[in-house]
Amino acid sequence: MHSDSGNALAAVLPPALRDLLRGRALTLERPVWGQRAGRHLSARAGLGHLFRAHRPYVAGDDPRLLDWRAMARRDRPMLRQTEGEDELSLCALVDLSGTMAYGEGETSKRRTAAAMVAALAHLALRQGDRFGFATGGDGALGLAHLRPSASASRLGALAAALSEGELRGLCPWRELVSGAAPRLPRRALVVAVSDFLDPCPPTRGAAPEVEATAGPRAELANVSAEEELWGAFAGLRARGHDVVLLQVLHPDEIDPPWRGDEFLRILDPKGSRSSIKGTANALKRRYQARFAAHQRALTRHCEATGIHLLRVRSDAPLEEALLDLLARLSGLTPSSSTGSSAATTQPKKTPKKTPKKTPKRPRRGPP
Amino acid sequence: MSLLAPLLLIGLIGLGLPLIAHLRGHREPRTIRFAGHRFLAAEGEVLSQRRHLRDRLLLALRVLLLALLVLALSRPASRHEAALAVLGEPHDAILLVDGSRSMELRSEASGQSLFAATRGAAAAIAEALPPGSRLGLIGSDPALPRLDPSADPRAALGALQARVDAGPPRPGSWRLRDRLAAASALSQADDGRTKVIYALSDRTSGGLASLPNTTADGLAILPIAVAFDAATGALEGTRGHPAHLGIASASWEPAPEIDPRAMRIRAELRSYAAADEDHRRPVSVALRVSGELVAQVELEVADGATVPLEITYSAADQRGPLAATLELVADGEPLVDPLPSDDRRHLWLAADERLTVTLVNGEPSERRSHDEVFFLATALAHRADETEPSAGRIALRNLAPDQLEAQIRARGAEALAETDVLVLANTAAPAENVAAAIRERVDAGMGLWLTVGERIDAEAYNRRLGELLPLLLREAVLAGTAPGRSTAAGEGFAPANLDHPALRGERDDLGLLGARARRIFLLEPDPDRPHEVALTYQSGAPTLLTRDYGRGRVALLTTSVDRDWSDMPLRPGFVPLALRTVSYLGDRASQSGAHNLLVGEVWSTGLPGPLTVVTPSGRRIALRPDDDGVHRLTDTYELGHYRVERGPPGAPGAPSPLLFTVNVDPAESETLPLDIKAPPIAGDRVFAAAHIPRWRPLFGLAALALLVESLLRARSRRRRRDGLVDG
Repeated sequence: MHSDSGNALAAVLPPALRDLLRGRALTLERPVWGQRAGRHLSARAGLGHLFRAHRPYVAGDDPRLLDWRAMARRDRPMLRQTEGEDELSLCALVDLSGTMAYGEGETSKRRTAAAMVAALAHLALRQGDRFGFATGGDGALGLAHLRPSASASRLGALAAALSEGELRGLCPWRELVSGAAPRLPRRALVVAVSDFLDPCPPTRGAAPEVEATAGPRAELANVSAEEELWGAFAGLRARGHDVVLLQVLHPDEIDPPWRGDEFLRILDPKGSRSSIKGTANALKRRYQARFAAHQRALTRHCEATGIHLLRVRSDAPLEEALLDLLARLSGLTPSSSTGSSAATTQPKKTPKKTPKKTPKRPRRGPP
Repeated sequence: MSLLAPLLLIGLIGLGLPLIAHLRGHREPRTIRFAGHRFLAAEGEVLSQRRHLRDRLLLALRVLLLALLVLALSRPASRHEAALAVLGEPHDAILLVDGSRSMELRSEASGQSLFAATRGAAAAIAEALPPGSRLGLIGSDPALPRLDPSADPRAALGALQARVDAGPPRPGSWRLRDRLAAASALSQADDGRTKVIYALSDRTSGGLASLPNTTADGLAILPIAVAFDAATGALEGTRGHPAHLGIASASWEPAPEIDPRAMRIRAELRSYAAADEDHRRPVSVALRVSGELVAQVELEVADGATVPLEITYSAADQRGPLAATLELVADGEPLVDPLPSDDRRHLWLAADERLTVTLVNGEPSERRSHDEVFFLATALAHRADETEPSAGRIALRNLAPDQLEAQIRARGAEALAETDVLVLANTAAPAENVAAAIRERVDAGMGLWLTVGERIDAEAYNRRLGELLPLLLREAVLAGTAPGRSTAAGEGFAPANLDHPALRGERDDLGLLGARARRIFLLEPDPDRPHEVALTYQSGAPTLLTRDYGRGRVALLTTSVDRDWSDMPLRPGFVPLALRTVSYLGDRASQSGAHNLLVGEVWSTGLPGPLTVVTPSGRRIALRPDDDGVHRLTDTYELGHYRVERGPPGAPGAPSPLLFTVNVDPAESETLPLDIKAPPIAGDRVFAAAHIPRWRPLFGLAALALLVESLLRARSRRRRRDGLVDG
């Protein structure tokens, strides 16, 4: 491994996590389709050790593969096929928008996302798989490193992309997915990392009528854009890719720490929406209801389309999250019949005291 | 509108306080960049607009509230031009309330009379008085309550209220000026307090226009014009003043050329309004005799015009005196008029009434125009048939001085028994026995009119008839040599004194203003000699004087009654002057004829008693003679026909009763407001304007604003607790 890339990797991949990855392997439950031989079960017959099937011999086949016993049983020349083992193409789509800058220190969403992606990349490259990544931030796409490569320098590029620069603006998820999709090799493992709270915000200036009207009309357009995005992910899944949505959430985003009558002004980190003022209690009440609905909708969608959904709290131990992810990918963890899963890693510490439940107020309208 | 405490407007600076409070009180929110921003928006944006609106409304409301409070505390008050003024220091305020008939004038809109509006004006004064002041009350009508100044203004206000509630003012020719002495005497205690008389009246000649700026003893008089719609009215202008109609005068005379028992009733209908020829008002005048309607005349009266009216009535079947009433009617009902009391006038009619005037011609001439009594006789007989001079109400008898002397020598005073008025025109002083007979007849009720000329010897006259003369004669002088005159110009006539009983009811200058006298007779001033001046020269020297002597009356003209000394006989006013004077002098002589009194005038007679007065309402008043043997009736405040029965009640053969009527004084009908100048502020007295307070509604508005602000604030809190805000 290159020393520079190693230093850079060290910045995003904690040593403890790297230690954990020793001896671990990234395996997929489903077969892959690589260009070269690898260590993943391939979707096609190859030169592996596991018996796959017999087939009649046709001219041109390697006579060394003739299975004499089968030929005797069938009275015709039969060829013995074995399962192929191909390399895996891992592609990471990383959200580098302003929303990922939330949190400080060890609870930073950016740090968690970078560590998870770097760990997967490190694991993949170490076992000879290919790795590529694309980023979206500040309204722009970074597709330069999307084509999977087995080079270790890709890690350095990843580390540089994830750790350097200020996170701001929005991540154009729809463009990112649609841009990445044609460039993906067959049966790749696509890991999309984001908080997925507002993946398709209204673009300032791009849709002035939506921006200007705001309110329910804007929200409707927003939901429609999101549906498109989920459809794009489902399209990836339909093409045979394994899709993992890695939802990195800060604990504040799960349970906003706003209390009482404090007057708050909420800014949109992506800069797409107008700021909102209000009292903490009112904001929190409104947020919690709508956040829960959003999460439910996301889970439901992933379950319906066979997408792995893994929720990671930024204050939770990364090791657990990573092991959980590996287990899910390899199919070791029990999951739903659809094969998709949605889980949230628990925080490092014991849960805080349950906040006093505020008496429920009748809502004045649908969330 | 003015402010009593304008300095408090500095408080308007405080209007910035709510603004600052809103800016500072606007909590600076903690800013959070939050990925879940999207879940906070949506519904909040609509709320945010409401919140903005509400905040601005709240701010505007608070600014308004503060502005209202500051404005109210600075005590705005309306200060109209007519705002009444009160003395700025504690003092004794004496309300002099006009109780004259003109105050009965009613507003056409509200029906409220000026007299009733006096309460509001009095209350405004009481409120405007500085603390420590005292309030007293007196009225131009002596029957109005009279209260010494009291620290409690409710006493005076309550008494005034009670009087107003009791009914309209009593007719009686009350003039404010006549009560000034009583008003200034109201608070005699010399405690060093300043006293001010507040005259509450209308702007008529008998009201505020009759008042001087100060009383005789130096008390300040402040005129307060009472108006219908407010506590005080303007001292100028006539806008909104109700116009009314009235019968200004009424008289009658026989009309024998029509019928032996026919009478010609003359009246003047006057519109008391600003002159406007285009605005005419139809009205009917009904004549009722003995209560029965006998005639009705339809008229149109232009605003401000005087319309003469003549009704001829023949009392064919009726004997004796008849009670007649002229009345304004509309559609058979009494006219609805802002001032109804002058819409009726009473007369006693007597078909066979005659006034016999004996003219003693001191300087007869064959040329009629040079005859001494030609002009006088022509004036008195101007309506009589030339062919039958005695056909008019006035029967003229011409005598030469020696004829008079011969008759008196033969028959004594009886020679003048049929004479009601004796005119001595430029006659030399009568002989002693003639003078005695004349004195006796005048004392018995005859009228005597002396006119001067070349034949008058002052000394002889003073000796023989001096007892009768209003003033003693001094000498005849050329007008230019009169005291104070340096040129031999003629002496002009001053406006007639229309307050004189003989001329009352006449208008303007009587038509004599252009007349000039070349020669006049000077008189000896004598304040102890009772007399009344009806006419003067411009120098102030009397022209026509009258006096009562016994039961009769005497008049003295200090210039010739022909053209020798003056051109008065050529003036149009000479005819009414002659008629009026003769009628006045002959009133006392006529036993059966009616005597017309104005309300409040004293009726008197020298006839022997017992006398019983029957008032129009049927009340019987037994008269008792005074020390001088004269019976007087002072309570003549009831309008209508009076009868004075002679002899014991029910006694057979009692002589015919004496008759007189009491009518309103037309001067009190003059309600058109005059412009009055407020008295100048003299000395170091500070006259503070009395203001109509306008700050109370402001306090009410402020309270309302406070209530709305509280509601909005509560609502705002609730919304802020429940709602979201979009920045």
